[in-house]
Amino acid sequence: MSARLPSRLHPAVVVAIIGFSVALIIWMVSFAVPFKLAGQAYLLIAILLAFRYWPPMVRWVASMPVAHRVIFGVLLGGMILGHYTLNGRTYFPFVVWEIFPFAHENDPVTCREFIATTADGNKVRLLVEQLFPSIVQINPLDSYSPETTEHLARALAKIYNEHHADNPVRQVDLFVMAVKLHPPANESRAQPSCELLKRYDISSGR
Amino acid sequence: MRTSQTLRHLLGPLELIHEQAGPRLLRLARLGIFALWIVKLLLDPLWRLAEMPRELFQPVGILALLPAGAVDQFLTSNGLAALLFTTLGLLVLGLTNRAFPLVSTAAAACLTVYSCLIRSFGPAVHTDIVLLLAVYALAGFAWADWIALKFGGKKSVPGEWNSYPLITIVAMLTLSYCLVGLNRTVAGGIGVFTGDTMEAWAVDASLRGYYFNTNLGWHVPEWPAIVFMLRSGLPFITLFEITAPLCVASSHYRWIFLPVMLSFHLLSLVFMNIFFFDDMLLYLLLIDWSRRFPALRAARA
Repeated sequence: MSARLPSRLHPAVVVAIIGFSVALIIWMVSFAVPFKLAGQAYLLIAILLAFRYWPPMVRWVASMPVAHRVIFGVLLGGMILGHYTLNGRTYFPFVVWEIFPFAHENDPVTCREFIATTADGNKVRLLVEQLFPSIVQINPLDSYSPETTEHLARALAKIYNEHHADNPVRQVDLFVMAVKLHPPANESRAQPSCELLKRYDISSGR
Repeated sequence: MRTSQTLRHLLGPLELIHEQAGPRLLRLARLGIFALWIVKLLLDPLWRLAEMPRELFQPVGILALLPAGAVDQFLTSNGLAALLFTTLGLLVLGLTNRAFPLVSTAAAACLTVYSCLIRSFGPAVHTDIVLLLAVYALAGFAWADWIALKFGGKKSVPGEWNSYPLITIVAMLTLSYCLVGLNRTVAGGIGVFTGDTMEAWAVDASLRGYYFNTNLGWHVPEWPAIVFMLRSGLPFITLFEITAPLCVASSHYRWIFLPVMLSFHLLSLVFMNIFFFDDMLLYLLLIDWSRRFPALRAARA
């Protein structure tokens, strides 16, 4: 009356056992290395191993002379090592790769911006990324000291005026804009709500 | 069994992309990458950075090694214009294919300084990093060809050597996506994929404004359908990012990956003012041209 063991385990059971074992190993190793690094490393190793044993890739790498293999290894290895430095600046272009890497929980979302008034009374927004197009992105303005913010406002006005000599900027206002993530039902606005923080008189040259 | 068959059908034949690439395809890739940098630099009034407040300058990469005096000399209109025009000159020389190892190495060095410089006034953003690494690959493999020919006793570049830089560039492009996806999943955790995260990022990016400004993103919380699309789209896109290295092997996957990621980048432009147009053009290398056009194939011995 002995029960017969199945000759093969069901694939779902195998997957569950493997998954549990991997989770256990990750959990244990995560005591030594932060999970932020260890977890990424496990997944990346799994992907790299898949290529390591894929015959066309093995054949291709094997066909490379040593010098080519070194270049291939240095570039990809540099990218991976750079990522694990968790540093975007020091080892550029071998950097940490992070886009939307954490939950953004501010509500309302706020942002400071410069709104200038021109000689004829029009309002224009002064954006660093447009007036200095070399700069892809600047840090949020609230990360700068009041002096730096003023220097930046004057630099923006100067560049703007160089290209709009017929209608230059006379005054730059620093506003804080706010948008609620959960607006009241059917609320629609033409502009985000804004509050004046500081006014810089450009015409005085101070 | 059925799952593995479906997966196999989805992935299609597994073949290494650009494995059959010939010298013409490599030449076209070199031209395209150098031309893209030339266009980017022609559109950049780099000398204006001399007007930026100096206290905003936080040196990135090799610029941190320069002494303060050298930085002061460098951050003048003349210094910046000199860098821009020297780099442009080297890139134009690179188009001629003459002394390519030397010219491309010098171009890579200048582009590294340029890329560090434009990030030194803000965060070290990812745009055009893969394009810079592509120049490294072209320069590095050109030197490797030279070394292998000089010391390896060969008289001409064998056919399969043309595939090395191309496959490496595709590997770097897809690895960059993979690392972004892994980082978001593991470091960001479940919180990134739930709650208000995507709306908050869209509103934040839209309020801040970049070079492109659609002025739409901050309306997102008022549009439930867009909120749903952004929330449900992030895990979907993250899955594609993590699995991006499959592009190296699967043509079927590439034909799914391309429209999905193109749509994602276009939506990022519409709602977040963020556009990675360099990556869009590097997507051309995700098409295995040499399998389609015999003229771009390597001659086999």
